[in-house]
Amino acid sequence: MAVGQRLLLIVGLVAYPFAMAIYFSLSDYWVGSPGRFIGLQNFRDVLGNEIFRQTVQNSFVFAGIAVALKTVLGIWLAMLLFRPLRFKRLVRAAVLLPWVIPTALSTLAWGWMFDSLYSVVNWTAIHLGIVSPPGPNWLGMPAYAMTAVITVNVWRGLPFFAITVLAGLVSIPREYYEAAEVDGAGSWGGFRHVTLPLLKPVLAVVVLFSTIFTFSDFNIVQVLTRGGPVNTTHLFATLAYQVGLSGGNLGQGAAISLFLFPMLAAIVFVQLRYIRRE
Amino acid sequence: MSAAITRRRFLKGSGIALASASAVALERPPAIAQKRELTLLTFNHFVPASDDELRRQGEAFAKQAGVTVRVDAIQAPQLFAKRAAQVASQSGHDLIVTTAADPFLYEQHLVDMGDLVDHLGGRYGGWYPFARETCLTASGWRAVPWFWVAFVGSYNEAQFKKAGLQPPKTWDDLLKAGKILKKQGNPVGIAISHCTDANITFWSVLWCNGGRVLETDGKTPAINSDKAAQVVEWYKELYRDAMEPEVLSWDNASNNRFLLSGKGSWIHNPISPYVAAVEKKLPIADEINHHNSPGGPGGIHSATGVNSLGIWKFSKNIALAKDFIKFLFLKENYNAFIAAGSAFNQPPVKQFGEHPIWASNPKYAMLPKEAEYVHEQGWPAKPNAAVQLIVVNFILPDIVAKAINGMPTKRALAWGEDQVKLAVQGKLETKGKS
Repeated sequence: MAVGQRLLLIVGLVAYPFAMAIYFSLSDYWVGSPGRFIGLQNFRDVLGNEIFRQTVQNSFVFAGIAVALKTVLGIWLAMLLFRPLRFKRLVRAAVLLPWVIPTALSTLAWGWMFDSLYSVVNWTAIHLGIVSPPGPNWLGMPAYAMTAVITVNVWRGLPFFAITVLAGLVSIPREYYEAAEVDGAGSWGGFRHVTLPLLKPVLAVVVLFSTIFTFSDFNIVQVLTRGGPVNTTHLFATLAYQVGLSGGNLGQGAAISLFLFPMLAAIVFVQLRYIRRE
Repeated sequence: MSAAITRRRFLKGSGIALASASAVALERPPAIAQKRELTLLTFNHFVPASDDELRRQGEAFAKQAGVTVRVDAIQAPQLFAKRAAQVASQSGHDLIVTTAADPFLYEQHLVDMGDLVDHLGGRYGGWYPFARETCLTASGWRAVPWFWVAFVGSYNEAQFKKAGLQPPKTWDDLLKAGKILKKQGNPVGIAISHCTDANITFWSVLWCNGGRVLETDGKTPAINSDKAAQVVEWYKELYRDAMEPEVLSWDNASNNRFLLSGKGSWIHNPISPYVAAVEKKLPIADEINHHNSPGGPGGIHSATGVNSLGIWKFSKNIALAKDFIKFLFLKENYNAFIAAGSAFNQPPVKQFGEHPIWASNPKYAMLPKEAEYVHEQGWPAKPNAAVQLIVVNFILPDIVAKAINGMPTKRALAWGEDQVKLAVQGKLETKGKS
């Protein structure tokens, strides 16, 4: 591909939309009305709004817990898949299913599982005697609702972690484990001194991508809770959609979504530096 | 001979050949021979037969006018983005369904419909008052009210009879009845969550108690009032004594499931649970009945979303689009539309309120009366941009949810007032006087 074509692609697909978002965020642009330049007013308004501040907090809680869980469970699942087992290829393909199914579709199914009236999760827990009827109000109480959206995000994102880490595991030479065994390392020692250090570069890249995807998640919250109850599950993308597209205030919607940029840029910068050092 | 084929002639000849080949390949005539196409963007109706009837009428009009008519139906929440994209690119459908504040938000981009509104109103007995509230902007009629959906009391008659209760006439009656019904094992349900139904019911209860969110000027917040405080207290009591906590998580379909499950005894909703029960031949259909939306000290008022038809100024088929709207409003067509929608599609003009469907089933008999109580969200203010933000940000149900979760009512209302002020600050400038 010629340099000109590449430049055209970057400008058309990345630079132009990004520049437009910045322009919108600095204007009082409403749907159906040409905006005028208002400087940083949108950012000031957004920062002064309690719903936005709640959204910032939600986003960090959501992304922090979800990425941590996906990392731990992803490594664990990858190690399980790495072991010799029957129908290995079939099992590995099946693990990918949550990642392959369209998110909106699978989240609808989760919505039914967390439904206030017909929740299969509650039905099972009640019949196992774990909780008393009617069971948790999954999507109606702030802590439960956050648990629900994190659960779905982890369920969906886990295969990405597991399969990528599995690729990393496959590339570790067996001799290193044999040498560790000779030095007296058990399975935990092998994991700590061989697996983990050699997986670090792979993990750093996966965590980097997952952090970006998780912070900018939209479908799960939009389908399950629409930011409720009382805005306690709103993320940047869902609030930006609500204000910008549903509400018509494109300027403020753009400002909300642009708050993601410096935060993610900082995370990417730190992680890329770490990867380069490794 | 070679001198006869100039570069210009070659390009012209090859261009015609290419166009013809493309037309053959695409199995359609070249553009010059194509019919004019009129396009309409709407949302997927809750009753699919209504969309089928709309398409049938589109085909009938197409045959009559010698054009083609394309009706595109998408999911209702996608309409926001689609409308915004069409305005930004100044291209898209000719006709578009507008709801709530859209005629005001897109005032500068929609064709004036005053002539058509006068014609249809004069012909069909005049418009109900809510038509002006929803489509008449400062610069004129920017859309033609098309149909609306009534939010009524949908209740389980058998459960009410068992408890020795009559359907509630006021919201206070509902509270009294709800307390008894919950003890009987049949709670009532009003959504207090991020969904349309939660907004609609709050507006209705507030108006009936004499409260309002914005003053008539559309700029002055009025939510932090004694009347609103009474409403929040009423909600708290209803939540505690007559409902289940699940209402905090409801979406628009949850209350339907609640009533159809046989657990719930009363919801504030369109007649969709009954229609669904009849269609699926569920035995509970016999037990469900409807009554007019409850009232209060401030009278009977009920919120709704009026669906209207607008024509983009960029459309090249403005006259044709107006003719199509006239065609949709022909008595036989509109009557067929009401029938196809299983009584869901309620008319904004008075004459169509005499449709036989309302009398065909006693459970529908109260529906035409609802037209007298209905207002667009925002009333007595016009549904402007501030109202749109208040609605889509679910400020009103969140005030109630905060109070239910322990925040003092006054603080919850002060929070709501702050949010209303912010919505007003982001208000779109409108043409002319507001």
